[in-house]
Amino acid sequence: MIYILKRLGLLLFTLWIAATFNFILPRLVPGDPVGAMMARYQGQMTPEAAEALKKAYGLDNLGSPLQEYFHYLVNILHGDFGRSVSHFPSPVSEVIGNAAPWTIGLIGVTTILSFLIGSLLGLFSAWRKGTFIADILPPLALFINAMPYFWFAQLLVYFFALKRDWFPLSGNLDAFVGDAWTPKWIASMLQHALLPGLTIVVTAAGGWLITMRNNVMSVLSEDYLAFARAKGLSEGRILNRYVLKNAMLPSLTAFGMALGFVVGGAILVETVFSYPGLGFYLYTAVNALDYPLMQAIFLMIATSVLVANFIVDLLYAVIDPRVRDGKAR
Amino acid sequence: MTTTAATPAPASRNWLRDSVIGLMWRSPQGRVGLIILLTMFFLGLFAPLITPYDPSVGAFATNLPPGAGHPLGTTALGQDIFAQLLYGARLTLLIGLASGAISTLIGTTMGLTAAYFGGRIGAVINLITNVVLVVPGLPMLIVVSAFLRGTGVLSIILVIALTGWPWGARVLRSQALTLRERDFVHAATMSGESHVRIVFKEMLPNLAGIIAANFFSTALYAVLSEASLSFLGIGDVSKVTWGTMLYWAQAKQALLQGSWWWVAAPGLGIALLGTAFALLNFGIDEISNPKSGHRTKAPKALDPVDGTPVNGNGALLSITNLNAGYSTPEGNVRAVRDVTLDIAPGEFVGLAGESGCGKSTLAFAATRLLESPGVVFSGQSRLNGKDLLRMNAEELRQIRWKEYSLVFQASMNVLNPVIKIREQVYDAMQAHGVKDAATLDRRARELFELVGIRESYLDAYPHQLSGGMKQRVVIAIALALEPKLVVMDEPTTALDVVVQRQILQEINDVRRRLNISIIFITHDLSLLVEMSDRMAIMYAGEIVELASADDIYMRPKHPYTQKLMTAFPPLSGDRERREGIPGRPPSLSLELSGCPFFDRCSLRIEGKCDTQKPALVQVEVGHQVACFLHSGAVDAGKTLNPDLGVNA
Repeated sequence: MIYILKRLGLLLFTLWIAATFNFILPRLVPGDPVGAMMARYQGQMTPEAAEALKKAYGLDNLGSPLQEYFHYLVNILHGDFGRSVSHFPSPVSEVIGNAAPWTIGLIGVTTILSFLIGSLLGLFSAWRKGTFIADILPPLALFINAMPYFWFAQLLVYFFALKRDWFPLSGNLDAFVGDAWTPKWIASMLQHALLPGLTIVVTAAGGWLITMRNNVMSVLSEDYLAFARAKGLSEGRILNRYVLKNAMLPSLTAFGMALGFVVGGAILVETVFSYPGLGFYLYTAVNALDYPLMQAIFLMIATSVLVANFIVDLLYAVIDPRVRDGKAR
Repeated sequence: MTTTAATPAPASRNWLRDSVIGLMWRSPQGRVGLIILLTMFFLGLFAPLITPYDPSVGAFATNLPPGAGHPLGTTALGQDIFAQLLYGARLTLLIGLASGAISTLIGTTMGLTAAYFGGRIGAVINLITNVVLVVPGLPMLIVVSAFLRGTGVLSIILVIALTGWPWGARVLRSQALTLRERDFVHAATMSGESHVRIVFKEMLPNLAGIIAANFFSTALYAVLSEASLSFLGIGDVSKVTWGTMLYWAQAKQALLQGSWWWVAAPGLGIALLGTAFALLNFGIDEISNPKSGHRTKAPKALDPVDGTPVNGNGALLSITNLNAGYSTPEGNVRAVRDVTLDIAPGEFVGLAGESGCGKSTLAFAATRLLESPGVVFSGQSRLNGKDLLRMNAEELRQIRWKEYSLVFQASMNVLNPVIKIREQVYDAMQAHGVKDAATLDRRARELFELVGIRESYLDAYPHQLSGGMKQRVVIAIALALEPKLVVMDEPTTALDVVVQRQILQEINDVRRRLNISIIFITHDLSLLVEMSDRMAIMYAGEIVELASADDIYMRPKHPYTQKLMTAFPPLSGDRERREGIPGRPPSLSLELSGCPFFDRCSLRIEGKCDTQKPALVQVEVGHQVACFLHSGAVDAGKTLNPDLGVNA
């Protein structure tokens, strides 16, 4: 119980830090952000947009910084992030609402897939160490892990969408595809998701492989494993109850983090494929100096990472009896 | 004493081996990584000598494919891609190495401080670390850089370094925490050395491997982050890095133009550089972190033995000419040398000797539990006539625990921390055919009663038990299938004296009731004298004396045994000053031509003991000793083939 409260405390504290950071950052920019944006849009910005911006930054009532700060905190607690500049007059929350399902669907599924595939290969590579395939896997994984993943995405686009038009170049759906969840819609959706999905599965699996391999290697050198062997247990049982159960724990933390990052999307993959998820919008927001959207997405990413982390911590307590009793970690 | 080993390497070479560069070079992965890294470094450094072209000036036809004059073609702006790649290596490497260095510096400082001071300072640093750790990296980088737009390479380096340190801090902290508990740090603290001195002189050198590994993993992070940021056009795109090359390729739609080489070249460069960093990290980790281990599964079976098996003396376990030890990069260590020993049914045999004399290695090798890098070089170990060293994995699995079991030295960690004790008692029985739930439960309760633990602890997890209770659980598990042989490797050393006595009493009772043979390893001689039927005294991997416990205690023959007996207090009698044995045993990686105890022996015969090896022979009924004072028998030199134990 104390463990859970401690974790919850850390969650709230970190959230508050992230929100405060988000508040301070635009104020550190030389000159005020609204002025910078007005200059950039050179009169193209409508007076309404300018007004909304001022409001979003609390510049309309010009209270003390402290008042502005509390105003800001109250607003974000209500889910009010103001209006997007690049998608004016849509509220930021609406832009995010449209983008989020695409990101969560694409990145969520592929993150889970790459975790499973990578971890299984990592387990294999450690367990069968000394055989050719098991030993060739780690260096291969290191290389894959070191590839810039957007670069890998570009190569996929070049070979499978440009040279042969097996897959669409960009976007999430064909135009005029009709209602959602019809067979035609689903086919189009899958076709668009395949290349970006493949990018993520392949490039992320390398990292999972190495993580899992290291975990298993370290469990293999534990005394309790030597003891299990001395007991004459079957390999299957050792693998299941002794190796996996212990080796999974550290991987789980990382997986929780990765799940949290899902909301942020694989920014660069979404950018390369112009896939209209949160990562893509974050990128366009940065380019368009759309501070309200940028801040909101950033805050959302931070929140989801933190919440995912919190859930992993709870899960940890279920799996690891030592954590439950507050003895470890 | 003469040795046939090569002379030790000069100190300077050892220093190089142990330095960080030595660490990088020692593993094959690290070596490949270092070569890639250095190649890139020199290509960048000597770029002006390698290519005549300026990387930023577009002086050529645009979008030329790779060919003569332009090995990697040209860009849409007419720049030579090969020249860009060479010059780009400079900034790319600079950003990677500089961010890696700054971030490692921050991480190391934070981690060490948190571990060293603990308490409130530690807690605050932990909090900061955790907060930065969960703040999403790339979005954070993008947002921060957006506000720092156009401020150049330095701010990119700083931003990457400031987001990349927490993981390293965490790893370092946990390593430093374990280090802090070590004796030498305690000793330094006690002797009143300053904090700074302890941290820098005592702790830091021991963490060098981890810090280096950490540096390369953050360098990898930095290179990839730079590539991502540049690709998005954040940072200074007028400078040539591999990241900005990708940016321009994308901006000028290189792929749509079919100039795939423009994209492929810098990306491959980044991937290779990243791989080099990752390989270095991996290689250093593999060597400096013993936990990442080189252990493999059940050691290989020996080849079928030539000649006829020697048995039929009614022994339960019959160890014959066993040679075992460890295989290290420096050569083989022969920790067990030509040992022959029989254990009769129901017999309690004590193995004694200073630490490092090969007692545990002997027990583990004989029971086929020696794990890599441990190796059994040759010999036999026959349990009920079957040679354990030549069984296949399944045969071995079947007799393990059923016919012999072990109580490990470090029983603190031999129970699986994440499953209940009940399951760990059950699975040993289940693996050997006991499947019925009621039987399992009854037997588990019986065993716990036998070793004096409440039944309710069956449903506890290992961490909920004290050290003494864990030890009893392990003993209970060892007796579960009533094996005929139990090997106990210092089973009670970690316990306090009262508990120790209690447990030993129980072990002894059980042994007599079930007629179990016990091999008991300890350096506590008085304990052995009291408990054993027979005792074997080991020195430098050999048994130098073997006799009944009485004879060893009252009439020790080998000078080493005599010294041992005076070095330990007797069971009763006056307190008197004990003297240790001056000197140290010879290194187990040496081949000796004489008696291993020669150097420390006060009764040595010059010219004989150092050139000839005394054989272990019976000098009285049931009393064997290997010493020229008692018998002239020379060990005819069961010398092993020269590749064993010699530093080639």
